[in-house]
Amino acid sequence: MIRILKWAALVIVVLVLCALGAFLYFIPPFFTMSPEDFGKAMAQAAPGVEGITDPAERAIAERGRYIVMTAGCNGCHATNGPQGPDLTKYLAGGGLKSKTRQATYVSRNLTPDKETGLGRRTDDEIKRVLRSGVFPDGHVVPTTSMPWGSFSIWSEEDRHAVVVYLRHLPPIRHQTPEPVFGNAVAAPAAVQEDHAWKDYGVGEAKPLR
Amino acid sequence: MIQSHLQQESIDTMKLNSRPLALACVVIAAVFLAAVLGVTRTRLEAQGRGKAVYDKHCAECHGPDGKGDGPSAAYVAPRPRDLSSGRYKIRSTETGSVPTDDDLVRSVRQGLYGTAMPAWDRILSDSDIQDVVAYTKSLSPQFGTPPKVVTLGAGTPSSPESISRGQQVYDKLQCGKCHGTDGRGTGAVATEFQDDRQQPLPAADLTQPWTFRGGATSRDVYLRFRTGMAGTPMPSFAEAATDAEMWDLANYMVSLGRKPVWSMTAQEVADLYAREEAEAKANPVKRGAHLVDALACVVCHSPVDEQKRMLPGMRLAGGLLLRINPYGDFPTGNLTSDKETGLGNWTDDEIKRVITKGTLRDGTRLLPFPMDWPSYSTMKQSDIDAIVAYLRTVPPVSNKVPPPKYKWLIPYLWGKFNLLVLGGDPPIAIFTGNAGRQGGAR
Repeated sequence: MIRILKWAALVIVVLVLCALGAFLYFIPPFFTMSPEDFGKAMAQAAPGVEGITDPAERAIAERGRYIVMTAGCNGCHATNGPQGPDLTKYLAGGGLKSKTRQATYVSRNLTPDKETGLGRRTDDEIKRVLRSGVFPDGHVVPTTSMPWGSFSIWSEEDRHAVVVYLRHLPPIRHQTPEPVFGNAVAAPAAVQEDHAWKDYGVGEAKPLR
Repeated sequence: MIQSHLQQESIDTMKLNSRPLALACVVIAAVFLAAVLGVTRTRLEAQGRGKAVYDKHCAECHGPDGKGDGPSAAYVAPRPRDLSSGRYKIRSTETGSVPTDDDLVRSVRQGLYGTAMPAWDRILSDSDIQDVVAYTKSLSPQFGTPPKVVTLGAGTPSSPESISRGQQVYDKLQCGKCHGTDGRGTGAVATEFQDDRQQPLPAADLTQPWTFRGGATSRDVYLRFRTGMAGTPMPSFAEAATDAEMWDLANYMVSLGRKPVWSMTAQEVADLYAREEAEAKANPVKRGAHLVDALACVVCHSPVDEQKRMLPGMRLAGGLLLRINPYGDFPTGNLTSDKETGLGNWTDDEIKRVITKGTLRDGTRLLPFPMDWPSYSTMKQSDIDAIVAYLRTVPPVSNKVPPPKYKWLIPYLWGKFNLLVLGGDPPIAIFTGNAGRQGGAR
């Protein structure tokens, strides 16, 4: 009788371990969602420009939306929840920590919030980052952490369109840490990016309207 | 006796008189020496301070030695200046001469429009800019020769007559061969060129004055004709045209400028975008080249060296190793048109499936990050076609990149447990060096 119980217990433990393994193996979002659904989710995540009243501005913002969406800004500037990127908090930042041999960066909040987002930056300051990788305090972010070298290829008019679109995003209050300078990665790795399913920002990301 | 006495006296007098003279000479020499040493020292100090500014703000593009080969240099167009060459586009000095200090200060202060060089006047103080210019000059021996400054006349104020004369000069000098009859390439013999470092350089679009590197006043434009743009195919016209003709041409050039998108009405924006779309349709390879650069494909699909500089000749040849924990090792693919190791043997649909569905030829699915195919799948069909059309034209580079290597089951499950349950941060590590084999040599 005891022998049967022992065997049963062993089988149950093995089954539980297998179930846990299978759960971990198949857990979303990777590989359980079809590629088409991934794409659809991305297209719907970027807020539309229909609310903009000025027709010229709306057309320009539409161009900006296309560039922001296709260039994959949300790949780094997303806000993560426990289930991976939280697409309802578009571009609120904190989703990625990038460490180089010089510094540690956390992806910033790109929504127009006045305290934590781009609301505190002028158009020229935003364009300067996109064109030259130079932040208002003068430090230059490496292209391998934020691919500004590629974005500098955009025409000045396209860069303007991106800024117009970012200005019309729903603002979300979400503080992200400033860069910390100092050797964070040892050779041979050039860059190391922490990409956990958690938020590297400070506190919860709160939509303001 | 008397004579000799007199002689002796005169010698004494001379001695008496020469003493202050010698003293004065010594003092003057000392002051002069001190001044020279002082000036040299001040200059060296300025260069020393300038180097500190340079290392912090400039080296990312212009490289640690100013050779224009910093980590970000290979991704921007046009490439950053090689400061050791002493050749500068934006000058107020004769062809072949170095620029003046004021020219350099101005370029640093206001940046170079239409390039990745920003305006530093909001960030650096005036003395920082002076120092960094002093340091920049020390990088090139060419600055041993003083600049030959162009003497500017009063110029010709813009008027309909001057503009119409300028248009005739434009035809006479055959500017349209590169810039087109309308200033934006229409009817040009060629619009794609190379700079002195064999990097692609398109002819300037003369209807977009906000991209004129050194500014868009008629004086700025006149100086470009007069001095030429060193290191580019744009020559000096000082021999071919008179001073008055060049001023007329400058006025004509300024008159060609169109409205930028930020001052347009809705109708004008719609017209501009429609025109751009038609041009993209007419030349998909050009559009595709723009997209491959602008979507940052180049950043991951080109291997880098220890200093994170792109390996020469390996643009889009793949082999940058990404270790994505807990999933495995993903070396980036070779996107050149090489038949053996690149995309040469892939069909259009196979390439598009990777870009939009993250699924390789053999059915292996890629993670949605860092190859952000979910985002790329939101592109218009015409843009995806354009990217494929461009990738077909990328010169073949043989670089056999190994396929993705997924982790074994147990480490993978442990990694996921760590990520999801323990809340760990499994890193993505991007390695230097080429994970592929160059031409099978290794």
